Amino acid sequence: MDTQNLSIAGMGAALRSGEVTAEQLARDALTRVAARDPALHAFVLVTESRALDDARRADQELRAGRDRGPMHGIPYALKDIYDTSGIRTTCHSKLRIDHVPDQDSVVAAKLRDAGGVLLGKLATHEFAIGGPSFDLPFPPARNPWNTEHITGGSSSGSGTAIAARMVRMAMGSDTGGSIRGPAAWCGLVGIKPTYGRVSRRGVFPLSWTLDHCGPLTRSVEDAAITLQVLAGHDPQDAASADIPVPDYRAGLERGVGGLRIGVPRAFFAAAPAVTPEVLGAIDRTITLLRGAGASVEDVQLPDYALFAAAGRVIMMPEAFAIHEADMQTRLMDYGEITANRFVLGAAVTAVDYINALRARRELTDAVNAVLGRYDALLTASALATAPRFDAPVDSLSSASPMQTIPFNVTGHPAMSVPVGLAPNGLPLSVQIVGRPFDEATVFRIGRTVEQVTGWEEGTLPTFAT
Amino acid sequence: MPDAPSPEMLSAELDILLARNGITVPDTRRATVMAAYADLRQQIALLHGRYGAAAEPANVFRLSPMESQGDAT
Repeated sequence: MDTQNLSIAGMGAALRSGEVTAEQLARDALTRVAARDPALHAFVLVTESRALDDARRADQELRAGRDRGPMHGIPYALKDIYDTSGIRTTCHSKLRIDHVPDQDSVVAAKLRDAGGVLLGKLATHEFAIGGPSFDLPFPPARNPWNTEHITGGSSSGSGTAIAARMVRMAMGSDTGGSIRGPAAWCGLVGIKPTYGRVSRRGVFPLSWTLDHCGPLTRSVEDAAITLQVLAGHDPQDAASADIPVPDYRAGLERGVGGLRIGVPRAFFAAAPAVTPEVLGAIDRTITLLRGAGASVEDVQLPDYALFAAAGRVIMMPEAFAIHEADMQTRLMDYGEITANRFVLGAAVTAVDYINALRARRELTDAVNAVLGRYDALLTASALATAPRFDAPVDSLSSASPMQTIPFNVTGHPAMSVPVGLAPNGLPLSVQIVGRPFDEATVFRIGRTVEQVTGWEEGTLPTFAT
Repeated sequence: MPDAPSPEMLSAELDILLARNGITVPDTRRATVMAAYADLRQQIALLHGRYGAAAEPANVFRLSPMESQGDAT
C-alpha cells in the first residue's frame, strides 16, 4: 500500500481495517525522510526509536480494542521549539543546542496521548524569527517545489516535511505568520487558531501576546482533525481561553451557500509588492466561491500599515525582554539575522509599545465590527510566491511580502489555503479569517476552496523514493 | 516625537537606546541594523499622535472575584 498520499482520516481507516499497521506507516515515513531530507533539511532530529515505540504501542492498543481517536497511529513531527521530554529541543540555536526538556509541551503531550507517532523535531528559523540563515547549527529547510527557494518561516521544516510528503501533519507556531507563511509558500494548509485556543505552555516564546500554536497539514480535513486534538483550556497558560470546542469536522462538507465573506481588498491590492498572479488567484477564488453560493463583497478595514506597525512594535520588545540577558552577554552566539532583529527590541520605548497596544484595541474592534456583518474575511496570505534564497526578504519589515501579522495583532483565527500554481511552478494561496473561536467556519470555507479550485486533486512535488 | 529625524539623529538615538539596554552592535552589522531601525522608526511614527486619553491599551485588565484558599495560618 502506498501510504504517502493517505490523509489522516485515510490512514486511520486503513489502520482500523487492518490494511496497514502504525508501524508500517512509521517505517514508510522514516524511509521517505531518509531518502528526501538530505537535500531538503526539514528535520534537525529524527526520533526513529521513539517513532517505532509509539507505533508499536498504537498497534498493540488497537488490537486490544483501545482506540485513542483520529490521531491514533498517525506519524507527525514538531517544530523544534516545542518541548519534548527527554528529546533535545534546540530552537535551531547554538544557545540551546544541548537543551533536553524534562517535560513535554502541552501540545506534545496531547498528541502523545492521542496516540500520535512522533517522527522528530523540525527546522525553524532561530527562535522562530531568525532566518533563513546559514550561520546556525543546522542548515535552513528548502522548499520542495524548488529547492532554490525558501519555505517561508519560521515553521520552515514543518512546511518542507509536509510538502515533501514525509508526514501529513507538523506543528508550527505563528507570531507574525510563521504557520501561514510556510503553508502559503509550500502549497499547504496552515491554521493559526484564535489566540488562547491552543495552549502555548512548553513552547519557547517569541512574543507572548502574539504567539499562537497550530498545525500545518496537507488538507483542511487534516487540520480540523489535528486542531480537535489540540484545542482546549489550559489553566496553566495565562492566555488560554475557557471556551467550548465544537466538532470541527461536523460542518466541513456543508459548503458556503448563504455565507457572507468580506474581502479587505486594499490590504493586498494597494501593496506595492503584490504580483498579478496573486491578484488573479484571489479573484478566481472569489468567483468560484460566489459560484458555490457565498456572498462575497469588498470591505474596508484600517490601513494595513497600522496592523503591521502594531505587530512589529509589540513583537520586538516582547522578544527582547525574553532574550535580554543573552543579548547582552552572548550576542555573537545568535545567528546574524536573529541578532539584528532582536536588538531592535531594545530601541522600542515604553510609549511606543503602549501606543501599539492602543492600536491593537482599535484594530481588533475594527475587525470585529466587520465580522459582525460578515461570516469571514478572505485576503492574501502573501503578496508573491516564495522568493529565492539569494533574494531574501525581511518578513518583519514594512515591505514584507507576508500579509499575516494583522491577525496575530487581533487574535482572530486565520488559515492559509492553497489555490493553485503560479507560472513559475510555485504555490499560490488565500487567507481565510474568522470570528474569534469560530475556526469551524474557517475550515468550512477552506474546505470549499480546496474543492472549487481543484487543489485537492492537485499533486505535490514528486520524488523518486 | 519628530517623525523624520536626520540620519545622524537616528544613529545617535539608536546608540543611546542600545547602550541603555547593554547592547553593542558590531561595526560589521551596523548598516543593516540602522536600515532596519529606520524602517521600524517609520512604523513607530504611524502609532504616535493617534490616540486621545480615553483610548486605552489592549492590556487593560479585569479581575474576577475569588474564593478564600482557607486559613491564613
